[in-house]
Amino acid sequence: MASPSRPRQRIKVTPASTAGNYDQDDDDHVHAIYQSPNSRSALERVLDTPQASAAMVGVLTAIAFALRFYKINQPDQVVFDEVHFGKFASFYITREYYFDVHPPFAKLLFGLTGWFVGFDGHFTFENIGDSYTDNHVPYVGMRALPAILGSLTISVVYAIMKETGYSTIIAAFSACIILFDNAHIAQSRLILLDATLVFFMSLTIYSYVRFRKLRYWEFTVEWWSWLIATGFFMACTWGAKVNGILTVAAIGIAVLVDLWDILDHKKGFTMEHFWKHFMARAVGLIVVPFIIYLSFFYVHFAVLTRSGTGDSFMSPAFQETLIGNELLMNSQELRYFDVVTMKHKDTKVYLHSHPDHYPLQYDDGRISSQGQQVTGYGHDDTNNHWQIIPTKALPEAGRGRIVRHDDVIQLLHISTQTLLLTHDVASPLMPTNQEFTTWPKDDHSRHNDTLFYLNIIDADSEDPWKSKSSYFRLVHGPTRVSMWTHSKQLPEWAFKQQEINGNKNPTEKSATWFVDQVISTESPEGLSGEQVPKEPKKISFFRKFAELQLLMLQHNAGLTSSHPYASGPINWPFLISGISFWTENDAQKQIYLIGNIVGWWTCVIALSIYVGIMGADLLARRRGIEPIPDAARGRLWNSAGFFLLIWAIHYLPFFLMSRQLFIHHYLPSHLASALLAGSVLSFILSDTVNYPISIVGRWTKLRKSEYADLGMKGPVVVGVFTFILFLMFVYMAPLTYGTPGLDGETVNAKRLLSSWTLHFAAKETAEVS
Amino acid sequence: MRPSQVQIDFGTPPGTPPRTSSEFEEIPYPVTHPSYFKTVHSYKHEESLPLHHMNEDTSTRRRVARGPGSSGGFMSGDEHESEMHYDDDGKDVYSKPSPARSRVSSGRVHRPPPPPPTSISEFISQNLEHLPPVIYTLLSCWTRFHKIGHANTVVWDEAHFGKFGSHYLKREFYFDVHPPLGKMLVGLAGLLSGYNGNFEFKSGVVYDESVPYVAMRVMMATFGVALVPLGWYTAVELGMSSWSCHLVALMVLCDVAWLAISRFILLDSMLLFFTFTTVFLLTKFHNQQYQSFSFDWWMWLAFTGISIGCVTSVKWIGLFVTAVVGLYTIEDLWEKFGDLRMTNRDQIRHWAARVLCLIILPILVYMLSFKLHFMILNHSGPGDSTMSSLFQAHLEIAFGSRVTLKGMGWGGGLLHSHVQTYPVGSGQQQVTCYHYKDDNNHWTILPTWEAPEYNPNGELQFLQDGDVIRLQHVPTTRHLHSHTVAAPVTKLNNEVSGYGNSTVVDDIKQGPREHVTKIHSLTTRLRFKHQALGCYLYAANAVLPQWGFKQLEVSCTKEDNPDDMHTYWNVESHWNDRLPLGDAKFYKSPFLRDFWHLNVAMMTSNNALIPDPDKEDILASAPTDWPWMRLGLRMCGWGDNQTKYYLLGTPVIWWGGTVSLIVFVIVLGIYLFRHQRKYIDMTLQQWNHFLYVGKIAGYGWFLHYVPFFIMGRVTYVHHYLPTLYFSVLMFAHLLDHFIFSARWKDSTKRVAFGICAFLIVGNFWWFRGMAWGIDGPINDHWGLLWRKTWNIYNA
Repeated sequence: MASPSRPRQRIKVTPASTAGNYDQDDDDHVHAIYQSPNSRSALERVLDTPQASAAMVGVLTAIAFALRFYKINQPDQVVFDEVHFGKFASFYITREYYFDVHPPFAKLLFGLTGWFVGFDGHFTFENIGDSYTDNHVPYVGMRALPAILGSLTISVVYAIMKETGYSTIIAAFSACIILFDNAHIAQSRLILLDATLVFFMSLTIYSYVRFRKLRYWEFTVEWWSWLIATGFFMACTWGAKVNGILTVAAIGIAVLVDLWDILDHKKGFTMEHFWKHFMARAVGLIVVPFIIYLSFFYVHFAVLTRSGTGDSFMSPAFQETLIGNELLMNSQELRYFDVVTMKHKDTKVYLHSHPDHYPLQYDDGRISSQGQQVTGYGHDDTNNHWQIIPTKALPEAGRGRIVRHDDVIQLLHISTQTLLLTHDVASPLMPTNQEFTTWPKDDHSRHNDTLFYLNIIDADSEDPWKSKSSYFRLVHGPTRVSMWTHSKQLPEWAFKQQEINGNKNPTEKSATWFVDQVISTESPEGLSGEQVPKEPKKISFFRKFAELQLLMLQHNAGLTSSHPYASGPINWPFLISGISFWTENDAQKQIYLIGNIVGWWTCVIALSIYVGIMGADLLARRRGIEPIPDAARGRLWNSAGFFLLIWAIHYLPFFLMSRQLFIHHYLPSHLASALLAGSVLSFILSDTVNYPISIVGRWTKLRKSEYADLGMKGPVVVGVFTFILFLMFVYMAPLTYGTPGLDGETVNAKRLLSSWTLHFAAKETAEVS
Repeated sequence: MRPSQVQIDFGTPPGTPPRTSSEFEEIPYPVTHPSYFKTVHSYKHEESLPLHHMNEDTSTRRRVARGPGSSGGFMSGDEHESEMHYDDDGKDVYSKPSPARSRVSSGRVHRPPPPPPTSISEFISQNLEHLPPVIYTLLSCWTRFHKIGHANTVVWDEAHFGKFGSHYLKREFYFDVHPPLGKMLVGLAGLLSGYNGNFEFKSGVVYDESVPYVAMRVMMATFGVALVPLGWYTAVELGMSSWSCHLVALMVLCDVAWLAISRFILLDSMLLFFTFTTVFLLTKFHNQQYQSFSFDWWMWLAFTGISIGCVTSVKWIGLFVTAVVGLYTIEDLWEKFGDLRMTNRDQIRHWAARVLCLIILPILVYMLSFKLHFMILNHSGPGDSTMSSLFQAHLEIAFGSRVTLKGMGWGGGLLHSHVQTYPVGSGQQQVTCYHYKDDNNHWTILPTWEAPEYNPNGELQFLQDGDVIRLQHVPTTRHLHSHTVAAPVTKLNNEVSGYGNSTVVDDIKQGPREHVTKIHSLTTRLRFKHQALGCYLYAANAVLPQWGFKQLEVSCTKEDNPDDMHTYWNVESHWNDRLPLGDAKFYKSPFLRDFWHLNVAMMTSNNALIPDPDKEDILASAPTDWPWMRLGLRMCGWGDNQTKYYLLGTPVIWWGGTVSLIVFVIVLGIYLFRHQRKYIDMTLQQWNHFLYVGKIAGYGWFLHYVPFFIMGRVTYVHHYLPTLYFSVLMFAHLLDHFIFSARWKDSTKRVAFGICAFLIVGNFWWFRGMAWGIDGPINDHWGLLWRKTWNIYNA
């Protein structure tokens, strides 16, 4: 409990400083504080030398390389998402356009690696289990890239901890959690994006820590370099995978807190000073990353110049920029009196009519107009042919006869010689929508009802109507409904064809149609088939970029279909379930993505201990008790708090996402939690910290230095822990490396949690009865 | 804590520099410092506080409690009272425990109780302040009751809630996603008005002569009437100026959506009422904070708890307002926790009081409503299947029995099948779990194909543990079947389907006791194990997509986990003509189990109310549509001869509220920013008041709005109505802050008030037809379409 003088004691602390100065006279912890580097234990002194540190990081990295490259050629088959990312790499080599929800940086790296190791891009990674050796794919070279990045991640993690002021042995502890982690290893031995993501994310953290340590040396060259390096790596993280945006958010929040501190009047800075800081961060962390992010896309578009699998995702204008694109080849301007077929964009049915009429009365008792049926039909047929009839005077020839945006047209059904019409009669299936029918061409009594506005999407006035590439809505003149269809079938009387009706929303998104074929034309160019290939059009990079970004966002949100190995975020930290990446029946081999259960649970425990310590500290200080020495508390709140922030920002948003989620989405968070585990271990073992760690500047108040000392117990605890970690890793290794094959009993033994769905498990024979 | 440390402080003598937080060593600001004069000024002003004779000139910005009641105690030598003079002087108030600032500085200003009246005129003048709310209440009676029986048809959700009310009168068990209190009150209204419970409440149908619907509506509308005085007194308790109190009352009175929703047999008027009472009681309690553990303090705290219990028992949306109270309490306790001068005993008492009144009491109220529910509804009805215990007839199950099987997992339904087939997987007939009684839940127990065929006249053969049986679906004569096709949702399990003639299910029973030989309906829990695959029939709370009518998925799990309740079933209903009747009183299930079970079932059903992507629901709206009133809701048919009601707010209230929320966030940001740069805009007291009201309104709005984005279920515009209250409070608060309590001339305030009141009343009058009913062709009524997205007119 508090001594009488305690509440006053607190006042001496300068609350604004990141870590208060330490008052020696009045604390129980004094015996544990080392203010001279030489009073520490001999072991700590040895480990703290740069040589020891270098040796440590060298050894760790070497082991990391060994573990990640071990049997990297196994399996020589396509594994899990290599289906996608291998394919995308090959598209960069063949330069065919593709579409993916992730930004292109990591895939560009794979493409580059593939090109570098001589991959010709002709293997398409169609199915999981396709053989690489049979198809002569230099897959080892491509897998080497994530393996290298994954190995280097270990050194970066070590460096982060070291820079944050922890002992060598603590840094090694955090690094080992990643080093011997089955999930990180499995993910970095295959052609997947996560190794790149995690590597650049750790580099971002490292740079930011370096930048932050220079805060008393603002606007120096070094300060600027680390600021820009943070921005650069941030862009790479974001560019590797779309979840990299979370790293941006995490750094963003840290920067905002930082700026808020600078704003504090007690710091004595002027507003000019603040704005200078603000602008510097805006440049370093917004402008620079954005330019780099843009440049990835610039390269992406520059490389992918041919038509490919991604065409159909893009707008017609975009598609026309690709060499060999169908739209580019076949699109032509439409003229009045051309005969065309029209298709609905979403359901791909033709606008169709036939001599049969709507029945007088439907099953639900509603009455129809008994007009000729207009339906959607999926197959080619002469009943799909419609002629474009003008409603204005036309010149004899020339470009005046081209149909343009906002023109009022009539559509003549060729085989029955009737005009398309809609009126205020409920459609067969939907009482809310208007019926579509036709009207004899020569009967002018209902001329007005046959008039339709041609509304080409994203077009300016005067833009011509083009086949294939112009998406349009057909909006009825008098009633303003748009021609629409949906995937419901009409009953037998309409031969189960699709209903076409008028949607009351004239700008309905799904009421989009396009001209599929031009059957006959009076255009001087004739029908498109006879044309020579055209030059691809050009549109500005920014338009392409904006379009692709929007599509990526939409598709990312749209990935909601269920997947057998998808799992909810709450399961991840506890390793409730993994992902089966690949199996081979003959040898009973399998790769199962699952983390090292010792390492992951340690991280979870560390997280809860941290939250507990912080909560207790908060409560205690609220009651005027200060249980933790100031330097150590500063370290816990600031650096470990930063790690917690990174963990939370990379984890919690997944709870809000409704898309498919997999355990590998947790890997960045896991890295952050490994950093936090190091901080917590350091705090548990000793009250001492290395302090101060920020580089002392001109105005910094000089405070007494402190030195961390874990003594003997540090290396012992970490050594024992690492040994257990390593044993667990080795035990699970067959699932990570996919070799050797396992018999059923062994699989059962390795199924540590009953929720893991391993293959080739032996049948459990015992039954309850 | 040693006694010597308790410092009783009666304030510093006037004239000395203002004391700053706890830092006694701190050097006072130099006289030239810009904050100096301000703080001294405010300090002097506060010194005069207990004298309560304030005029607006000396306290321009502070709210003036003119109209409000004068309950509460006297500001006397309470220990904490002096602390309100503390002024942190804009220093770092975040990182250090502030010296037990009591929150008396926010909320209503206290005045001593007036002396007892000696004459009538004195009595009148003392209570004159209650005149405006009385007038407003009378006005609200008029708006709420005016033409209330005009539409003699079942309007909108009266179809549901009227029907549920009937169930109480007929005492039949039913199932609904909402807790029972509101519906019991509907039933009570029916009882009081002499309704016999036999009307079907089909949507749009004209009321029978036997249904006293006007009386029932009036009783529901009474809750709506009460909103107005509650709004007024809440504003008073929040310490708003009398101008703002008038505005709050006017807005509550004149909002067309609140009006329309209160006029029918719906739960919303009760939900709104209890939401309003909760906020009111909370503010009332807040104003007792200076006299902890006094009788008043206890009373308002307990009332707050009861009100929380009631609001949650009407609809679960009430949990949001509970969260507001929770946040307030956490913050309050945190402040108390940091008060080093408070004794440990008091600390514990504070905590215990909160736990008792705000946790235990509401739970008791909530459970009491369910207890009443179960007590009233003791007859079998259409909702039985959601409850685990039933009113069945026969005991032991034999071959040839017709049974319904109920999943034992929380919220499990009855094993169900229907002619529709799986669109994925095998394409065979669907087998699901369904919460309502239906013939499609019936299954017959038959022996295997290999065994001799079931002989209806042969010896009665009771079912035993380990018997191999066939389960035949009665209406379709399909058999329960499973095969190694992945189930549609739980992909790791096998699909269960209805399939031609196949022998499939074998039976493992785990009774409550060992050595059970016969299977009893209800009391025996059993598991079904597939004979060939060895998997267990399993129904967790996975909801099938639209093609499965959002019913629960049934699958066959390969895992043999005897602890998994989702693999257990019991026989719920049982028909076998050859068996004697059972004794129903053996089956009384404990209340707590029923309570918990029903709540889980409600949760499951509530989550299954997700929007159907294939079908555009014209009534549904997204949360983003609400604050700007993008959409209204047609409450009934739109024919020319029908009386039409359109659920739409008064635009100026909705839009003003939304704008004020945005403005508040911006203004708060600016104040914080300036604070960080040490600009003093307000005295600490003003700042506390600004924050306190802003927090109540802001948290309230946020907590009532944001969860709708996370919830998967389909949302309607009336879900915004409780939320609207908080935006109304915020609107009034900001007007108060910037106009009515600020340094403006009285004439300016009068003009501003006039404009606001005119806009509110004018808007209301313009749209009054939406709530009072529009007769004749809608397109004849001109000028209602203020936004193009409203579907008022027939296109």
